[in-house]
Amino acid sequence: MTLWFVFAMMTAAAAFAVLWPLGRGSRAALAQGTEATVYKDQLAEVDRDAELGLIGPAEASAARVEISRRLLASDEAERAAPVAARRGPRRAVALFALIGLPVLALAIYLPLGSPLQDDQPLTARKQEPPQSQPLDALIAQVEAHLEKNPTDGRGWAVLAPVLAKTGRLPDAVRAYRNAITYAGDSAERRADLGEVIAAAAGGVITDEAKSEFERAVKLNPNEAKANYFLGLAAEQDGRPKDAAATWRGMLEKAGQDAPWRPMVQAQLARVEGAKMPDLPEGAAAAAQNMSPAERSAMIQGMVDKLAAKLKQNGDDVDGWLRLVRAYMVMGDAEKAKGAQAEARQAVSGNAERLKQLNDGLKNLGLDG
Amino acid sequence: MTRKQRRLVMIGGAGVVLAVAVGLVLNALRDSIVFFSTPKMVAEQHVAAGKRFRLGGVVEPGSVKRGDQLQVSFKVTDGDATLPVAFKGILPDLFREGQGVVAEGSLDKAGVFEADTVLAKHDEKYMPKEVADALKKQGHWKDDYEKKPPNATSANATSASAAEATK
Amino acid sequence: MIAEAGHYALVLALALALIQSTVPLLGARLNDAALMNVSRSSALAQFLFVGASFVALTWLHVTSDFSVLNVYENSHSMKPLLYKITGVWGNHEGSMLLWVSILALFGALVAAFGNNLPLSLRAHVLAVQAWIASAFYLFILITSNPFVRIANPPIEGRDLNPVLQDIGLAVHPPMLYLGYVGFSISFSFAAAALLEGRLDAAWARWVRPWTLMAWIFLTLGIAMGSYWAYYELGWGGWWFWDPVENASLMPWLAGTALLHSALVMEKRNALKVWTILLSILTFSLSLLGTFLVRSGVLTSVHAFATDPSRGVFILAILCVFIGGSLSLFAWRASALKQGGLFAPISREGSLVLNNLFLTTACATVFVGTLYPLALEVLTGDKISVGAPFFNLTFGPLMVPLLIAVPFGPLLAWKRGDLIAASQRLIAAGVVALLAVAVVWAWTTRGAALAPLAIGLAVFVIAGALVDVAERIALFRTAPAISLRRAAGLPRSAWGTLFAHAGLGVALIGIVCETTWNSEHIAAMKPGDSAKVAGYEFKFDGATQRQGPNYRELLTKFSVSADGRAIGAMTPSKRTFTTRGSSTTEAALMSRGVSQLYISLGDIAADGAVTVRIYHKPFVLLIWFGPVLMALGGLLSLSDRRLRVGAPKPARAPRALQPAE
Repeated sequence: MTLWFVFAMMTAAAAFAVLWPLGRGSRAALAQGTEATVYKDQLAEVDRDAELGLIGPAEASAARVEISRRLLASDEAERAAPVAARRGPRRAVALFALIGLPVLALAIYLPLGSPLQDDQPLTARKQEPPQSQPLDALIAQVEAHLEKNPTDGRGWAVLAPVLAKTGRLPDAVRAYRNAITYAGDSAERRADLGEVIAAAAGGVITDEAKSEFERAVKLNPNEAKANYFLGLAAEQDGRPKDAAATWRGMLEKAGQDAPWRPMVQAQLARVEGAKMPDLPEGAAAAAQNMSPAERSAMIQGMVDKLAAKLKQNGDDVDGWLRLVRAYMVMGDAEKAKGAQAEARQAVSGNAERLKQLNDGLKNLGLDG
Repeated sequence: MTRKQRRLVMIGGAGVVLAVAVGLVLNALRDSIVFFSTPKMVAEQHVAAGKRFRLGGVVEPGSVKRGDQLQVSFKVTDGDATLPVAFKGILPDLFREGQGVVAEGSLDKAGVFEADTVLAKHDEKYMPKEVADALKKQGHWKDDYEKKPPNATSANATSASAAEATK
Repeated sequence: MIAEAGHYALVLALALALIQSTVPLLGARLNDAALMNVSRSSALAQFLFVGASFVALTWLHVTSDFSVLNVYENSHSMKPLLYKITGVWGNHEGSMLLWVSILALFGALVAAFGNNLPLSLRAHVLAVQAWIASAFYLFILITSNPFVRIANPPIEGRDLNPVLQDIGLAVHPPMLYLGYVGFSISFSFAAAALLEGRLDAAWARWVRPWTLMAWIFLTLGIAMGSYWAYYELGWGGWWFWDPVENASLMPWLAGTALLHSALVMEKRNALKVWTILLSILTFSLSLLGTFLVRSGVLTSVHAFATDPSRGVFILAILCVFIGGSLSLFAWRASALKQGGLFAPISREGSLVLNNLFLTTACATVFVGTLYPLALEVLTGDKISVGAPFFNLTFGPLMVPLLIAVPFGPLLAWKRGDLIAASQRLIAAGVVALLAVAVVWAWTTRGAALAPLAIGLAVFVIAGALVDVAERIALFRTAPAISLRRAAGLPRSAWGTLFAHAGLGVALIGIVCETTWNSEHIAAMKPGDSAKVAGYEFKFDGATQRQGPNYRELLTKFSVSADGRAIGAMTPSKRTFTTRGSSTTEAALMSRGVSQLYISLGDIAADGAVTVRIYHKPFVLLIWFGPVLMALGGLLSLSDRRLRVGAPKPARAPRALQPAE
């Protein structure tokens, strides 16, 4: 509401700026210069210069003659004094300022502006609690709606991933099942269902979950998530070779730019015995009990933390080597290269550390 | 002098200055302009060794080699042809593999482009205009040379701020 | 609310501009003072609103309100406050808002301080000013609106281009804009004169202070831009003949010509049509500069805002205003009363010569800047016209102009005596020849022309001094009389002295820097040292440092001359996280008016840093010159004669006090 009040005040001020001189009429007309003023001043200037001896007497008189001639000419041509005001045009202008101006301004502003959106300066936003309240409220709304219309498949399909994200896993399982029932079966939904079942079971691929993945693959043999979890299931069943075969098959079939590629590569490297990035003890143990998604998230988080730490203090050569190796294992050559360059810059002030770094990089199979 | 003569003197003087200026401009345009080529155009047109031109294209990934004494060699490609470039000096901040570049210099007898200047632009997203046009013409233009999808950049921004927030 | 209020204020400014562009003309036609006076109040209000809009945008940047697209794209919450503010005009939308705010500022200045103008002239001037403003408000609102909102604002912005995070950028574009846009006033005066069909010597006096003001800002803006490029771009060049630089040089050349031709018109009532044409051309070149920079039509190191759709809009504005004003000129100019003719050898003759060379030089720059564009459009060939072209064309045209500069002020109006002027300049000529001889004997290398060029520069400076010495009859009469004369000398005469001497000073800097500049490029490791131009630079080592929004590799060099330590220099390389790019921060050390300059290149695998070290003799003179010129302009501007004609409130305007 205040906004509209401010708009109204501004508009009034603008209209006033147009109306004010109209109201003052011709009185203001006195405040104007004329050409004669300028020429008279020029004459005075010539006199002054002549007095000081800056110009000679002959020059001065010639200049005086010339300026006087202009002065005469300007007096002849002096503009006619403003005629008595005619009311008509002034009224029209005043009317336009009062009505046309606001209408014009709003007609331009309304399609362009977003008057309903408040300012959102960063400091104010940071004080707000993270947007949990609105999300929870939204979920409740959707749930209430689905309670009344339980056959709304699209509603279930929208709700399910949100529930999974907020950690209400058993509800998510139910939502996915309803989505499949009412909105149609698909490989994607089956795979998602399997994932939440496994997540609900603490990361273990239960038989129930596995059958969902198998159905998904039957619907679409290239369903990445399902294939990935089938590989994981094989590993959990103690068949790492099968797991490796599944994942390798995925990598071969998929394009270079598949977003999950680094994760699968990391998993493949792990089951094939390549050393994972060094993780603090305890973390590794904790990782055992995690779902693969959670685990890769944890690894990613630790790598990010390490990178952030090194940005603060770049002296830690071992840290840099660990970071480069981590990126390589995760299959992110671009980042590995970036880290390498940053490392060099960070330790370039110290010859010994630099040598250590270069040796380490050589051991990793990178150029020294 | 009569009015007419004065007028003639003035006009004549102005004419002389203008004629001199036109002469200077034409002379300079003949001698000091530099053409722009891509590696493909160089390959097709058999540019003579020693003729100065500007070479534009993308720095071929993996081709940058640094030698002693600030010697740098790299390859410039436009997708159809590549041309080796030799340069001595400091490369600009924004010089990167896989990014657009414009170099000025001439070919030597061995067909290597001896660059004496390598130009970089203000913005890291910025692809030199000639390079972009040339690549577009040859059908090798990818939009992502110029613009990253907004999602990607905002994701970068958030991860960067997250990294800073962990201090 | 601030975002939306700012947006609405901009819309209101447009509405007011539309009123301001029509009502005063109606008033002038009806000879109605009240309607003509609407131009004043609406010009002031228009400035108030667009100013409020600009302040609102600044506020949004300072508070990091990422719900505004412009803030999100160009700001970052970690950025230092100063760069949050300068970031407002470091991007396309914000800089256009600044442009139009300055346009409105000049309009408001005319409205507030234009009391010495006839009512109908002022009404016309402000109306034309409002036409320009309306076009640019529409441009901003339609194609480059800085107040566009994002419904779901991201939590962090994308940061300003690191190269632009620099104090030089904080002041350089506003200065340039004050100059560019300032010439809009002369344009409006010219258009008003054509519309009114009246043009006389008084017009020139009225328009001169405004032209002078714009010229001062443009001079300073160009000098600052040049200095910014010098230390920020890291390769020590100060002028690249880049299209964007040319775009600022062209209005400067035309504006300088305009200042001089307006002088002839004011004193002699001659060159009237030419002066009008120059006013139109000067602002047209400013518009062209805006178009070149803002449309990204030219490949250039400055092209950080590129968007073709905007280019088309600006091109349309350009065509309407340049085409419209030139048509108006063609239609009405013949109706203007011709001024008198005059002798070639006279003050006015020399000013015509000045105009001839300046406009011709401006034309060569114009050709060099636009020829590649035209050729590409016509034949598809891509060429670049670089420094060699301009050195071969612009340079030779400047030489006769500089030789003529000292003669001009010594010639009398109407009928000058060239021989007498030459005799008075003998002293200056002798000093110049001495300078040539000394430089020749002193230096061992460099072009043979360099000493001659320095001699020319000295001639210009000495000539400027001789002019003032002559006027106050220095050494010819008693010192007391000279002193009295000096006190009585109009300030504009001192202005001429400084402006012309500044030209010589800048020339000395340019010649010395280009001829005797020493450069050393090497890969250096900590402990290494290098010798350049008698200075020894020892690389002490490098450290890593965290800045507010970047990481910095700081290197330290100790500098010694003749074995005596004279200080340390710390060039650095900054890496900006958000944009993943880096900048080179050069280190500068001034030795008198010469400078030492170090910038860093790549860091090699073995820890060696590539370093460029320069010794740039007399380089600071390049920028002192323009500063002197601007100072001269300021002196001239403060001359009471330019303020003449302002009615004194309580008294009749005709009363004149010569003793004032």
